[in-house]
Amino acid sequence: MMMAKTGTDIQIAICGSAGDGTIASGDIMKRAAAAMGFNVIAFDVYPPEIRGFGKCISRIRISTKQTYSLKQESDVLISLNDGHAIPHVGEVRDFGAVIYDDSLGSQVAEGGHISAHISPAQIPYGFGVRQISELATNSARSRNIVVLGYAAGLFNLPSDGFHEIIRSKFATKAQIVIDSNIKAFDAGLQVGQAVFKLDDVEVGSDSKETNGAEAVMMTGNGAVARGFMEAGIESYFGYPITPATSIMERLAVDMPPTGGKFLQTEDEISAIAATIGAGFTGSRAATATSGPGLALMAEMVGLGVMAEVPVVIAVSQRGGPSTGLPTKTEQSDLNLAVFGGSGDAQRIVLAPTNVEGCYRCAGMAFDIAETYQTPVILLIDLYLSNRYETVIPAKENTFAPKPRKKVSVKKGEAFKRFEMTENFISPRAVPGEAGLMHTATGLEHNELGRPNDAVHMDMSIKRHEKLKSAVHFPGLNVSKRFGDKGPVDVGILGWGSTFGEILETMYQAQAEGISCSAMKVVMLSPLPLQSLQEFFADCREILVPELNYEGQFANLICGALEKPVTRLSRATGTPMEVQEILAEVRRLSGQDPAQIQIAGAEGAQT
Amino acid sequence: MSAPLHYVIIGSGSAGFAAATTLRRADDDCRITMITMDGLPFYNRYDLPQVFHGRHDWRDLLAVPPAFYDTMRIKLRRRSRVVDVDGSKQLVSLAHQETVHYDRLLVCAGGRGYLPENLIESARLMHGFGSFEAAMQLYRDLPKGGTAIMIGGDMVGIDLALTLLETGYHVSLITNAQTFWPHKITPDEQSVLLRALEAKGMTVFEDHRPVGVTRDNGGQPASRVILEDGSEIAGDVVMSFCGLTSSVEFMLGADVDIERGLLVDPELRTSNNTIWAAGDVCQIWHDTEKAYKFFHGWENVRVMGKLAARNMLGEHEIFDVNIEDRIEIDADGQLNSTFWVHR
Ligand SMILES: Cc1cc2nc3c(=O)[nH]c(=O)nc-3n(C[C@H](O)[C@H](O)[C@H](O)COP(=O)(O)OP(=O)(O)OC[C@H]3O[C@@H](n4cnc5c(N)ncnc54)[C@H](O)[C@@H]3O)c2cc1C
Repeated sequence: MMMAKTGTDIQIAICGSAGDGTIASGDIMKRAAAAMGFNVIAFDVYPPEIRGFGKCISRIRISTKQTYSLKQESDVLISLNDGHAIPHVGEVRDFGAVIYDDSLGSQVAEGGHISAHISPAQIPYGFGVRQISELATNSARSRNIVVLGYAAGLFNLPSDGFHEIIRSKFATKAQIVIDSNIKAFDAGLQVGQAVFKLDDVEVGSDSKETNGAEAVMMTGNGAVARGFMEAGIESYFGYPITPATSIMERLAVDMPPTGGKFLQTEDEISAIAATIGAGFTGSRAATATSGPGLALMAEMVGLGVMAEVPVVIAVSQRGGPSTGLPTKTEQSDLNLAVFGGSGDAQRIVLAPTNVEGCYRCAGMAFDIAETYQTPVILLIDLYLSNRYETVIPAKENTFAPKPRKKVSVKKGEAFKRFEMTENFISPRAVPGEAGLMHTATGLEHNELGRPNDAVHMDMSIKRHEKLKSAVHFPGLNVSKRFGDKGPVDVGILGWGSTFGEILETMYQAQAEGISCSAMKVVMLSPLPLQSLQEFFADCREILVPELNYEGQFANLICGALEKPVTRLSRATGTPMEVQEILAEVRRLSGQDPAQIQIAGAEGAQT
Repeated sequence: MSAPLHYVIIGSGSAGFAAATTLRRADDDCRITMITMDGLPFYNRYDLPQVFHGRHDWRDLLAVPPAFYDTMRIKLRRRSRVVDVDGSKQLVSLAHQETVHYDRLLVCAGGRGYLPENLIESARLMHGFGSFEAAMQLYRDLPKGGTAIMIGGDMVGIDLALTLLETGYHVSLITNAQTFWPHKITPDEQSVLLRALEAKGMTVFEDHRPVGVTRDNGGQPASRVILEDGSEIAGDVVMSFCGLTSSVEFMLGADVDIERGLLVDPELRTSNNTIWAAGDVCQIWHDTEKAYKFFHGWENVRVMGKLAARNMLGEHEIFDVNIEDRIEIDADGQLNSTFWVHR
């Protein structure tokens, strides 16, 4: 067990250019904080395109309480490149800290230095970052580590944790690299410790035990890969695409040693085709892509539905349509995931709302696919893919594959692979099982798998009805309600990554005295209609915040329940902000604005 | 239409702040930039002894809330040190390598504590009291009921000493020529004042010449003052209050006349017609005495700040140099000065 200081909830933003080591220093900060026992949520923003240098920003929320999203305002901004950091000074709250280099290497015109942009209520901490890096390591390259040391000194964070993470981060490098980074950190630390602190950013003073070392830092994509691995993934076929690529990269490393088959195909169509082929053979098969890739795969998803082949498709959404906004987040592939393709091709779509959810859903997706013999789409987005959170993985692996039920056929009878059973789920055999040979086809087919148009209605019923019980799949929270029980004024309904902000909003609204609940919907297809109906019955007003222009989730819900909702849909490529959701909740609550007690940070305590 | 004038003020103390607000009130369009080394927005320095009365949140000391600067459209550049002023190109250079162009410049850089030469080496062992940070450091380092040794005892020190005595600390004062600075008083007047301070509990050492300070083995900060005769005065912290040296180094290339401070005419204009100066940094021409004179003290510098601002805007007001120099202490130990403001 590690000790973390109680009452801590700070967000640090580190901003620089791609060559400044911004993401690396953010990475050390978040891992060190996690190792100290804090709950961590972090999100890195990379340069807008794949090419060259550009702005990077790493935001890290470090907390002793359960948090659900990044904060709208940061408590601390560290600049490694003023040109990039200047536009972010405004995100630092009053009496928060701005840490920057005041020993620039070259002359700048008026306003070119970050100190020109710090408001009178923010606290400037300029120091000779470059000089200190050069003194400590003979190079200006360690500026990113010097600032970490400075922040650790200023906010009184223990240096041991950082040393350990620096050592592990550079473990594959020469000892001299590790030593010089530790030196750079310590040099910054010394300066930070000597500074008179004027900000009110507090790392609490008393300690409490936390889960500390048990917690693991993961991104959403990392959690998907880990869930896949624990579930015993056997085959992966994929084609790289932002922001899903890191799932593939992780599996490329992790799968071969366990005997898994990993192949980068020539495009997304081949990837899904190969995945379905592998699924058909009984292999636990998955692929991962983004919206444009899923669009290409749509036809093959239909084959998976028709031929009842279990496969798992992780989809990380980015701004669309077309190439769209490759490095920006959006929730606009819901329609494609739920409906995409030809015909009535219902499939299961799971949309986890946080990193832990990514891990759990990915872990369970194969069993769900296997149970319902259909493609399962795991729908996340860039904000969740790249977001870091501390997750406490299950002590025992509950995702490991269970033996498939043996199918038996009475002597003289043909194997009905698509038999119309009571629950519409048919016995499944894989190629090579004696006596269980059958046809799998994209043509409509009868129980034996033989092409047959006449059974189309019956088979359509079968393929839809069999999915109905998926909402009761054991161990899976397909929806969950938070906040006030019973009738409330405002219910906020959400899905995917936006739900973190929704939950933070709900707690703030409650602290303001607004009667409020929130519900997340993890299973988008089929929808958990009963819990949705109950939620609708309890809420005077329903607000649906989501990151797309058309309000795709709101449309889905309204179509299913035929009830009006208030939409808060926006497509800017950036995550939803708590304040904008809160403004809507306040409006919908109908409470006299004068009566609402605007809560401070404490109001968000859960 | 010509671009609005850019007024740059170096210093965010009493003079600089008074000037900035005066400028804005008189000219809604101009650009105002206030450059300062301070980490905090303007606060009343005479309130600093209040840290010994428990005022530890700097926000309680601010003269105006931070939002005031936004409302007044005064750009406040903190933690920015001016290293050079180019009077012909009208450029201010900052230590972090940024340059700022001005149309009119007002220098209100004040001064820093003067340290007698024989104490310069020991400077880092002594406590300062010129900023909130320094005041808090003193508060943290001085044990409850402990003794502060003051060398000199200018008015800043005497104000602090009175608060320390009030709040249960001890003060040992080693007098010198700067005791009661910036007041110039006769030895007899000084003696009356010192006796009154002794009556309040202060220990006064007259006619002793400190030659250095020292700390106990390994201890930090300095706790003893070594005197010329080899004897020592012991306490918990040592402070020097010996008046001010004006902060003018960065003005050496500015093409202005400098003596100890920036020399200004009674309208507070320097020898460069785009540069004015106000506050502790400047010496004003005293026509009767035919000399440039400093005019320290809160009220004086505030008046200078306002006046300089109006003159930068085109007025021709004159600073009244005929200021009476008198200081008294009443039966309650309360100091009354003709120009030094007491809280
Ligand atoms: C602790 C203390 C207590 C005092 N108490 C009293 C009192 O009780 N009553 C009274 O009447 N007077 C008091 N005084 C004196 C009075 O405050 C001064 O006369 C007055 O503060 C001078 O104001 P100023 O604006 O000229 O300079 P200052 O207030 O000294 O301000 C100087 C400004 O210039 C800035 N500066 C200096 N050099 C540079 C540079 N190179 N680059 C950028 N910025 C620079 C500084 O950061 C600062 O903002 C006190 C002074 C102090 C220090």
